[in-house]
Amino acid sequence: MYGKGASQLLKELSSSEPGQLKNFNTDIFEEVIKECITHHLALQSLMRKIQEEGLDIQTTRNADHFGAVIHHLSLMRNKRCLMAYVYHRAEIIQSLRWKVGPVLPEEIQEKLKYSEEEYFRNHSAALMEYISELDLDLTVDMVPPKDPYIQVRVLDDIGFALVGDQSLNLTLHSMHFLKRTDAEQYISQGLMEDLSGS
Amino acid sequence: MAGQSDPHLSVFSAAEVEFLAEDEMVEIVPNMKMGPLNFICGDFGPFRPQIATEVPLWLAVALKKRGKCTIRPPQWLSVEKLTQVLEAERDSPREFQPLPFHYVEISRLLFDHARDDIPDVYMVRSLIEDIRYVRFSKVESGLETISGRTHAVKLKNLSAMEVNIVRPFVVRTLQAFYKHDSPQMIQHPDTAANRPPQVADRGPRRDLRRR
Amino acid sequence: MASGSEQGLDTATEDYDSLIATTDVELLKQAWRNEKAAPEILQFQASLIQRSREQIQLMEDTVEEFTENGTDPLTVSLYQMDLDRTQFLLRSYLRIRLQKIEKYMIHISRTNELWNRLSEQEQRFAKRCTDDMEKHLKQSVLSRLPYGYQSILKQSISSEEDDMVPEPQLDTFVFCKSKGSVGAFQLDDSGDEIVDLVGDDLYVLRYKSIKALVERGQIDLV
Repeated sequence: MYGKGASQLLKELSSSEPGQLKNFNTDIFEEVIKECITHHLALQSLMRKIQEEGLDIQTTRNADHFGAVIHHLSLMRNKRCLMAYVYHRAEIIQSLRWKVGPVLPEEIQEKLKYSEEEYFRNHSAALMEYISELDLDLTVDMVPPKDPYIQVRVLDDIGFALVGDQSLNLTLHSMHFLKRTDAEQYISQGLMEDLSGS
Repeated sequence: MAGQSDPHLSVFSAAEVEFLAEDEMVEIVPNMKMGPLNFICGDFGPFRPQIATEVPLWLAVALKKRGKCTIRPPQWLSVEKLTQVLEAERDSPREFQPLPFHYVEISRLLFDHARDDIPDVYMVRSLIEDIRYVRFSKVESGLETISGRTHAVKLKNLSAMEVNIVRPFVVRTLQAFYKHDSPQMIQHPDTAANRPPQVADRGPRRDLRRR
Repeated sequence: MASGSEQGLDTATEDYDSLIATTDVELLKQAWRNEKAAPEILQFQASLIQRSREQIQLMEDTVEEFTENGTDPLTVSLYQMDLDRTQFLLRSYLRIRLQKIEKYMIHISRTNELWNRLSEQEQRFAKRCTDDMEKHLKQSVLSRLPYGYQSILKQSISSEEDDMVPEPQLDTFVFCKSKGSVGAFQLDDSGDEIVDLVGDDLYVLRYKSIKALVERGQIDLV
């Protein structure tokens, strides 16, 4: 059936998790490209036939004309789907620069096809150029700032430790007012809990 | 960055709404002496023990966390006022009572960081919960009345957090009606006109033109 | 200005309010909100951004000085928080604009009115983005399609208009709040659609119909 592959590509997009990429579906993509070329050949041969029969191509409304229209419309539909597929993936690829950083991890990279990898590099470079012209890093402060200090409770007997520029006795259950950045490593190790902002 | 979602359906994140609320002014009573603070966002202080002064909520919370002040809860955040509001919310099914645009976030921040400064904090907290609940069910029943004929929706006194919650639904619904605007889908004008006034369609109406 | 009078006259309060309402941070916040909520890219707030950046720079210097001259950590942390808040607004504002450029680059590049809303740096970014996107689309799709179907703008050679360019939906609905009383306001060209915008009222309206009010600063998107 005409256009089936193309719609499959789009179904794949809409069934993906938002912002997540699946492997570029080369098989179906190539199939659709082939279908486009077949449509075009059929379209051309129908047009030639109309002309060979000495009919006016502009006004003729016979079976061949309508056949040609169907091929033309199918081709356009395939084009729209192919473009939507690639464009939509390109939008996700743009967002990766913000979410993942300038270097893509292996597991994402292998989902891209070559020209997508190239697009990612080019787009990242464009963004970095803008940021350096602006002289303001836009890749930080992605969420509203919070108080740089937090109240924490110590969950283990850590003892004396150098936290930031002060030496503290981090005994079990003791509470401290620390810089968020200093406390984070303890929190991520489960040695402290964040009491602010409950 | 754009991701896949329509940016329109989630304009502000919860953290961003809270960020905006943190600029609301509150009164604090410092327990220390400190010179004026000349911030980019304005000048505050000087701070003298026991002398009340107005500062943005984020500053109030920061000082409170550092044990430097008590926060005076805003007038509306009291058992007496909130009881009145709750009654009025229940009595008027089509209207929302005037509360600060950020009442949800302000009260939450104060419950989190200054509970000892709020008299009857448990009662106050449960009143806020009740008010939110009543208001939200009003929003829901108001939304049921959106139809293809809704051209402008007036939501007087709806708060920031409430806006954020209903936004995806309202926008999507209005958009869908707009898109599927067809005579079959629109209720008969007479029935629409005879409906009681409601939250969701105080604006003028008419059939959307076919394009 | 703050004479310390305790009388709290209405006029004094109003003056104070309008003074507060016009700080650059307040303006930046308004620009940020509007940019976030509007479907299309708005005019770049060049002088406001310039001023905000200068103030941020000054404050960074001040905080550094404080740290060096041993000002008490409490004060320093409070100044740092003020600085962080302004910087977030500035960065987020610039990011939302980039996001819109990324999304509608081709449309923006081809529409003079929109193009002129960008800063020079944004224009250069948009140009590069568009070139990269075009190259990518040509390479992966267009160059492989039959003759007559290779345009990035048109579905086929027989399309009369550019029917392949993603554009923002200007007739989407937005939430907005009027600042003062805007008065009776016409919602559409034909004039049979009037809404009376009273101060502080909250409305859900089609963006297209209030676009001019947003641009003139009479209404805020929320």
